[in-house]
Amino acid sequence: MSEVILQDVAKHYGDFVAVENMSLRIADGELVALLGPSGCGKTTTLRMIAGFVDATNGRISVGGRDVTGLPPSRRNMGIVFQNYALFPHMTVAENVAFGLEMRKVSKVDAVKRVDEALARVRLDQYGDRLPKQLSGGQQQRVALARALVIEPEVLLLDEPLSNLDAALRHQMKIEIRQLQQSLGLTTVFVTHDQDEAMSTADRMVLMYKGKVEQVGPPAEVFGRPRSAFAAGFLGIPNLLAGQVTAEGFVLESGMRLALSGQGGLAGRCFLALRPEEIALATDPLPPDSNALPGKVLIMTYHGSSVEYQIATEAGPVLSARVRAPGLGGQPVLPGGTSVWVHWPATAGVLVNEH
Amino acid sequence: MSMSDNVAPLARPCAPDPRPRRRIGRPVLTAPALLVVTIGLLTPLALMLRNSFNRFDPTELMISAFTAENYVKFFTDAFYQEVLLRTLGISALSTAICLSAGVPVAYFLARHVSALAKRILLIVILVPLLIGNAVRTSAWMLILNDRGVLASVLGYFGYEGQLGIMYSATAVTIGLVSVLLPFMIITLNSVFEAIDANLEEAGSSLGAGHLTVMRRIVLPLALPGILAGTVLCFILSMNAYATPVLLGGPTFHMMAPTVYQQVAKAMNWPFGSALAFILMSVTLILTVGVSALVQRKYRRWSE
Amino acid sequence: MNIQARHIRQGYAVISLLVIGFVVLPLIFIVWMSFFSNRILSMPPEGYTLDWYRRAWEMADFRNGFFLSLQTSLIATVVALVLGLPASLALARGAFPGRDTINTILMSPMIVPGIVGGSSLFIFFLEVEFLTGWRIAGSSIGLIVAHSLIALPWMIRLVTTSLIGMNPSVEEAARSLGAGSLTVFRRITLPVIKPGVIAGSLFAFVNSFIDLEKSLFLVGPDRTTLQIALINYLEWNFDSTIGAVATVQIALITVLLLITDRYAKLSRAF
Repeated sequence: MSEVILQDVAKHYGDFVAVENMSLRIADGELVALLGPSGCGKTTTLRMIAGFVDATNGRISVGGRDVTGLPPSRRNMGIVFQNYALFPHMTVAENVAFGLEMRKVSKVDAVKRVDEALARVRLDQYGDRLPKQLSGGQQQRVALARALVIEPEVLLLDEPLSNLDAALRHQMKIEIRQLQQSLGLTTVFVTHDQDEAMSTADRMVLMYKGKVEQVGPPAEVFGRPRSAFAAGFLGIPNLLAGQVTAEGFVLESGMRLALSGQGGLAGRCFLALRPEEIALATDPLPPDSNALPGKVLIMTYHGSSVEYQIATEAGPVLSARVRAPGLGGQPVLPGGTSVWVHWPATAGVLVNEH
Repeated sequence: MSMSDNVAPLARPCAPDPRPRRRIGRPVLTAPALLVVTIGLLTPLALMLRNSFNRFDPTELMISAFTAENYVKFFTDAFYQEVLLRTLGISALSTAICLSAGVPVAYFLARHVSALAKRILLIVILVPLLIGNAVRTSAWMLILNDRGVLASVLGYFGYEGQLGIMYSATAVTIGLVSVLLPFMIITLNSVFEAIDANLEEAGSSLGAGHLTVMRRIVLPLALPGILAGTVLCFILSMNAYATPVLLGGPTFHMMAPTVYQQVAKAMNWPFGSALAFILMSVTLILTVGVSALVQRKYRRWSE
Repeated sequence: MNIQARHIRQGYAVISLLVIGFVVLPLIFIVWMSFFSNRILSMPPEGYTLDWYRRAWEMADFRNGFFLSLQTSLIATVVALVLGLPASLALARGAFPGRDTINTILMSPMIVPGIVGGSSLFIFFLEVEFLTGWRIAGSSIGLIVAHSLIALPWMIRLVTTSLIGMNPSVEEAARSLGAGSLTVFRRITLPVIKPGVIAGSLFAFVNSFIDLEKSLFLVGPDRTTLQIALINYLEWNFDSTIGAVATVQIALITVLLLITDRYAKLSRAF
């Protein structure tokens, strides 16, 4: 069992709070993604788990063993760094063997395990090369092999995909997930990319300014962001400020919008709307419908869809993403066209200000 | 009606810019500096090399000749060989001390110190370096002489005997180390800073303790820079003048003071010139030789 | 807390403190002892006085030496600036055959040992004197030539570094906006590399000011630089006049270093 438990873990640098009392339980074999913008504390958290940074407060335990005071060398964690951190003066095989050597594994065993590890990442032919003779993707796989060969209790991945190009990133995402699942490894994956987090993780931990904003399975966090920050970070640019009342959602301008199925929040909050859920109408809609009048500012083309920026009379500029004209969508609306922005009453998500 | 009437008049070709395009990186800009270095350094050095094959004459000073007798004199006179060996020994010792004391300091500054503290410490280290040999050496005389600071501190703890450090190899080594340490620390510090700290973390996460990380990862990667710092210190101590003269005293002979003595006092320019070239050649051969040996070890991955 | 990491860090801190103390303590003592009233520099203090500073100032060798050093180093710095600035531009921006060789030659005054450079210059000057009758050794000209050579490599090294660190697109942008080469240099390049030029000048000045080995051969009986005056005095005396002169020099150099630090990363000069 290698369940990782963070209990009130905090890191302060003088007055600056990098991570604020964070508690998190990562189940055995679970992949948890720490997600957030730069400076949110996700990397500091990973480095505290690894032992590179001493926690100011709190405890960290792995499989029931308190590791808070242990140096990194005695934590038995495999780490893949953002820049891979391969030892440039050692061959690929020597890099992978390093951890085994530190564990005093016999030469014969070590050679066998290095070969297996390299085969697992499809680099069995590259043992004699130096890191700089490999491509970025290959270097990344060496880093993975080096971290896995020591049979770590926990695998820590620090932005492992950010130095790869888009195609390779997609492929490595799948490979990492497969390896992690086949080995049943408890894994912490730090990233600033919501796609990476959503496609690999069992659970996402969304962090902001040193605090945990929201924890949950990707579908849940994506579908029900709890705060304006979470909504914005997960790609919901449209936020309407207003009040939840018995009649529905009342905007600051006094305009009333329909709500349906969004329980939980009351008083001042935001209504978050995905661009994909918004439709545009050029003809006036009946007065009771859930719609805001506005004018088209600009259109941008995205292949299968087009995105309009609409200046609404109620205030904010809203993004609407509709099917491209060539694929059965409505004809292109030129800038300045008067439109009505509307959406189903169930589409909006109510989120807190913070 | 000719065809050309229907054709719009051709735009006149752009007149070439009358000013020649001045390039900022023209090699001729180095000419004045090159001239001064040639007159002030290269010509005198060439002349000195030529002089080292001339003959010394007490009344004429120097007689044009082409003889190796000055070099022969050096290698047959036990006194001068001893001077060279002493210089080599003291330099090797001082360099070794600087290396072992400089590595931890440079590493500490590179890894464990805030930016501001590092800036302050660098100035603190640089002041003694740039204070000049005369002032620094007199400060050491103050510490090391028989009635100096060290003697009185030891006396306070009950030590009664004569200190006797002044005018000895020990005093010269102490003085040299204090000049060379700042050089070593600053060179090594930038070397360590250039090494990715993630490599050390990767090493420790794989189970290596601090000493293993240093031995297996940091030092091999720092080797070229360590070599550069070591060579620098060795060259500087081979050529040291003020420290051996003031802390070694009149009977402690090293190469650079001997060159001065021959050229400026004995006015034996041929022999002084030969001494200067022997000093430079020995230093060069040793540093090139050691560098080649060390570099062979890391060539494979440094290319 | 990770106790092991803390112990390692403390170990490094202790060693560093000892080593840095070893390098700095002698200077602290000489400053302190320059205020002792003891007739010979020794511990413990018998009392405190500023008298040594007055005595140092009254000694013609120190006073004249200080002004000669100041004058020589200032002229040498200006010469190094005039020669070094164009040379740095060519070295940093040009791509021409022989660039590395030229760079090595221009840096060679830093590489050739002071005693060797000084003695060869001394012999050279005397030989010129035998041939032409011009007295250069022991004259201001000889001293200025030697000191300009000391200053030049420092200037070139620091100015070149800052030129290389400058984004060349900035100059291209200025040119595309209609500026000629001279205007680009005056309005764009020079302001951007100004910190490097200031740092280069300060390093050139300091290294010329503290030079001992080269000057040794070129000073005359009534023309000694401060450093030579110091070691001449040390030959026969050991009182706090030395301490007073040293303290003034330490103060001067420290101030110059603090100014340099504002303009350039000090470690880059080495």
